[in-house]
Amino acid sequence: MKILVIEDNVELLRDIKGFLEEEGNICEIAPSYKTAHDKIGFFPYDILVVDITLPDGNGLDIISEVKKESIDAGIIIISAKNAVGDRIHGLEIGADDYLTKPFYLAELNARIKALYRRKVYNGSTEILFNEIKIKPDSHEVFIHDRILNLTKKEFDIIHFFVVNRHRLLTKEAIAEHLWGDDIEMADSYKFIYTHLANLRKKIAELGGNDYIQSIYSVGYKFTDRE
Amino acid sequence: MNLVRKTNTYYLLFLAFIFPVMLSMDYYLIQYLVNGEVEELLLHERERIDFHLKEEGVLPTSNYLFQTVPVKEGSVFNEVFRDTVLYEAYADKNIPYRIYTFKSSINSQPVKISLKHILLEINELIWTLFVTTSFIIVLLALGFYFINRKIYKWAWNPFFKNLSKLKQYDVTKKGPIHLKSSNIIEFEELNHVITDLIHQVKKDFQNLKEFNENISHEVQTPLAIIRNKVVLLLESKNLNEKELQRMQAIYQETNKLSKIGKSLTLISRIENQEFKRLDSVDVHTIIGNILSHMEEIINFKHLTVSTELEPVTIECDHILADILLTNLIKNAVQHNKEDGVIKMVLNEEKFEIINTGEISEIATEKLFNRFQKGSSVKESLGLGLAINQKICEIYGFQLDYQRKDKIHTFSLFFKRNKE
Repeated sequence: MKILVIEDNVELLRDIKGFLEEEGNICEIAPSYKTAHDKIGFFPYDILVVDITLPDGNGLDIISEVKKESIDAGIIIISAKNAVGDRIHGLEIGADDYLTKPFYLAELNARIKALYRRKVYNGSTEILFNEIKIKPDSHEVFIHDRILNLTKKEFDIIHFFVVNRHRLLTKEAIAEHLWGDDIEMADSYKFIYTHLANLRKKIAELGGNDYIQSIYSVGYKFTDRE
Repeated sequence: MNLVRKTNTYYLLFLAFIFPVMLSMDYYLIQYLVNGEVEELLLHERERIDFHLKEEGVLPTSNYLFQTVPVKEGSVFNEVFRDTVLYEAYADKNIPYRIYTFKSSINSQPVKISLKHILLEINELIWTLFVTTSFIIVLLALGFYFINRKIYKWAWNPFFKNLSKLKQYDVTKKGPIHLKSSNIIEFEELNHVITDLIHQVKKDFQNLKEFNENISHEVQTPLAIIRNKVVLLLESKNLNEKELQRMQAIYQETNKLSKIGKSLTLISRIENQEFKRLDSVDVHTIIGNILSHMEEIINFKHLTVSTELEPVTIECDHILADILLTNLIKNAVQHNKEDGVIKMVLNEEKFEIINTGEISEIATEKLFNRFQKGSSVKESLGLGLAINQKICEIYGFQLDYQRKDKIHTFSLFFKRNKE
């Protein structure tokens, strides 16, 4: 998919671009309102990632513009302002999702993919990873076409893993994905561990491979590579 | 003691001091004047008598004549005035007299003639003086009192108006303060000083606030970048275990910083009153939601939760109510021990949450300070209760903490808006 990231911090921009390109996307960047405006006018994008505070304008205006021109692109707002008003306003004028800075790139990736799926396939698509098949809209996971019986959190974990395959997912990023922003408990890492243990067991019962690699004590990677 | 009482006290003290002074001055002055008058009268009478004796050779009739005593030729005595008291049978009392004794001669016979004149009675004089002086003093006191009260009421009026305005003034609120102007120079000067001072305080406060906001805001993007780079490094296969550990430490501390920033932003947003909505918040439902959200963690720690919840509605911003209750419940879960107990009671008056846990070493009054935390839980930032305190300040709720051995109780008292 083709993504335009509008964000004034060049370093952050570089990180996002790098991450998204490694995921096999075409990622273009716009460090200012004007560049963004020009690019949107000329090229079609599937997804726009928009920072609200830009040096020469407001990201929300870009969204209004996109909606006025009926450009069919999914929009994700990224903002350092965790103001509910901004969030509501952004979603009202047509943004599809809202992420508060600092966000985990894996989280942004998951959101972009989910949004793309909703937009292009109306959500009715399957995510495949070797013998694993995930149906995000019905929250179902199949191993060798046999349904895997999972709790909601287990589903969220494997979904997050598969979407961010081959990526290091830190425990913090997983915890935030599962429990949201407000969790700051040491306990949550123990839960992740427990959930993963259960998940591994359930996958193994259906003859699936264990793709979950523990990366030191930092986090996990879901991969079939060495 | 207020100003008017203070001034009146000093006036009264002054009058109390002046009273005997006035009394004695009046006494001696009047006595002096009366004596002088009496002496003049007696001297005048003497001249008349002398004249009469010289012309006619006999004593004239005189109302003042007291005694005529023949004296020897050549005897010498002073012609003096003196006071004496004579018993008067008709009045049946002693009456003071001024006596004037002088030498004269009747038909060449030297005589000592004494003239007398009645004086004011001392007691009567003192009494009269006392009464009149008291009357004057009382009049003065009343005058002072009423004038003072009038001054207090009218001249000080702007002062008190401004005082009550200053009492209500809140530096966190926007809008300038309008002080009532006065035609009294001192008050006007005071107003100027206060206005300047407030302006300065406000500016400082604003700067500080903006600084806080910016800091907690602006650090987020750099932190995000640091975090991303660290993840990239962690993903690289070239690091040895030690280096990985260091990277991990950087990663965790960066996360902590980011969370501190977020919490501080939240606090300043609460202070800025960005949450203005007054929703009817169903506390009962919120608690239910939070509990189901945390169910997993609660089960994981094998905590026993018992609730006695009545349906209660409070008026406040929905988001803040959620933050407040989440923090309280999270706190009870987080600081609990394995197989611990949480008990919640909700009624119209308050929400109470009791949990088992470790013995905390922080003094109760310090607990609500920023960055104050129990030593046992490292991941806690110690900002949750500071946030709660801020929220309570806004709505006039009261948050109390009690500890008994290993039992911790937080009580949140709602201000009943209906009353």
